[in-house]
Amino acid sequence: MRGSSLAMKGAVLLVAVFVVFKFVAPLVTAPLPMSLIWLYLFLTTVGIVVYGTLSSESTEALLGPIFRFLGGDGLNGVAKFARLAVLVLVPLLVGGQTYSELVPSSQPPAENRTIHPAPPGEFVGLTNPVPNTPENVMMGKGLFAAFCSPCHGPKFNGNGPASDGFNPPPANFVDPGTIAQLQESYLFWRIKKGGVGLNVEGHPWKSAMPRWEVELPDDWIWKIIMAEYAGSGQKPGTWE
Amino acid sequence: MVGMPSRHARLAVLAAAVAVLWGTPVLAQETVVVRVKLIQGEVPTDPTAPIWNTIPATEFPMSPQVHWPKRILQVTVKSIKVRGVHNTKQIAFLLEYADPTQDPADAAALEFMVGDKKAHFAHGQPMAQVEGGPVNIWYWRNDAPGAADMNAQGFGTLKKQAQQDVQAKGVWKDEKTKVRFKERKLIPRKDAKGESAKDPKTGDPLFDEETKVVEQDATGVWRVVFTRALTTTDPNDAQFQLGTFPNIAFAVWDGKKLESGDLKESGSQKAVTSWWYFNAEPPTNYSIYFYGLIAVVVAAGLEYVIIRKVRKGQPA
Repeated sequence: MRGSSLAMKGAVLLVAVFVVFKFVAPLVTAPLPMSLIWLYLFLTTVGIVVYGTLSSESTEALLGPIFRFLGGDGLNGVAKFARLAVLVLVPLLVGGQTYSELVPSSQPPAENRTIHPAPPGEFVGLTNPVPNTPENVMMGKGLFAAFCSPCHGPKFNGNGPASDGFNPPPANFVDPGTIAQLQESYLFWRIKKGGVGLNVEGHPWKSAMPRWEVELPDDWIWKIIMAEYAGSGQKPGTWE
Repeated sequence: MVGMPSRHARLAVLAAAVAVLWGTPVLAQETVVVRVKLIQGEVPTDPTAPIWNTIPATEFPMSPQVHWPKRILQVTVKSIKVRGVHNTKQIAFLLEYADPTQDPADAAALEFMVGDKKAHFAHGQPMAQVEGGPVNIWYWRNDAPGAADMNAQGFGTLKKQAQQDVQAKGVWKDEKTKVRFKERKLIPRKDAKGESAKDPKTGDPLFDEETKVVEQDATGVWRVVFTRALTTTDPNDAQFQLGTFPNIAFAVWDGKKLESGDLKESGSQKAVTSWWYFNAEPPTNYSIYFYGLIAVVVAAGLEYVIIRKVRKGQPA
């Protein structure tokens, strides 16, 4: 890069930023939305322009090659062809972008789903009043088999025979991202109040979870919670 | 050293792989949206109308209704195929599902949200902390003519509307079809000695789970068409705008009479889905192409101005 113009360095930097956020970042995190990538590219461009216009020399180094390329004087061979391609492609890209912004979407609106909304205050910090004994865990597993396994599955993985029609699907307790991150009191809230008990931030409120307080006494629910942790090989989350 | 397989052998392996993949049943929906196609002329009210064969179907797996007692854990209908058409005034949905017997109490229903408020798919059951809205239910039953246009906002609130706007017609045919569903098996795990493996902590027997999508032959198919105007004057109705994505849910009852005299499925004992979407295709909007062309012209004009100034030595 030594000896190359500031304009060329800026172009390489923009391409590098795009490649990193579009293709490298998804290797370690969720894919970034294009709107965010465009924002990063915009900020990079602003940085290049600010840096490149700090002095008259740097301004010439940044803009000179661009103006000479656009003017076309003295260009030949590949450079001449590249200039023609840029001049043709830019208006077509602008037209294409305008079209894609206006064309009706064929996909439903994205639904931001809050996986673990904050529980109501009355369900925060409750401790399981049922002793964690082998007998109680065994009874909990029996209750789980009778009431919960049709959806959450006999292996606690959300793959029950009654799960297929529901969106979102029943929770997979074996996944370390579910009950392992939650306290027992949180599960008590979700089991007792069900899908219709979700609070305002718990959108999109499509859970099929029954409101088990209608059918099960509290101590059965606590035993089911113990069984869910024991059966899935997880431990309840704690404040420590 | 093993030599490279011949070209014919490689082609045979490739063909076999393609055949296997091609023939593997897949249950996941191609899309979560029922594409309601725009057609010319009247929307079909007959479930056997030839036009339905030209409309792509979206298949949704179904579950037993578990949200509310009384519930059952086995239902007859494992999945439902849905097609939709509209002509900018009327909309029609065709439900197609396998049911081996035609019974008077066989029934099907569509459900929509009314107004802008979210509604729970289980009959618009009130939510504890979210102000939900009612649902509009279109109900068809084999032994009743037409359809019932109903509202609900919670269990036990189902009520027929004063203004009935929905029509429906069902046809059962004794024809062969394919039913796809997930088959799950728990297989006892064996230890090195071939005996039942047990959890070292609890002593519980260990199982492995095998889940696969299977496709089975079935005989007997219901096709039910629901039709209604896209918009009505009834404030209790769901209203549909072209190009939007309203929620839609489905329910089906196998009304077979058991030896006990009870119906196999009735009331809250039914096959259901939770909310999915449909999209009524809007007419082609040619102004989009015009605006795209304007953008091309403006961008090209801007290029011309910049290049002209650059060549004159007056950077823009």
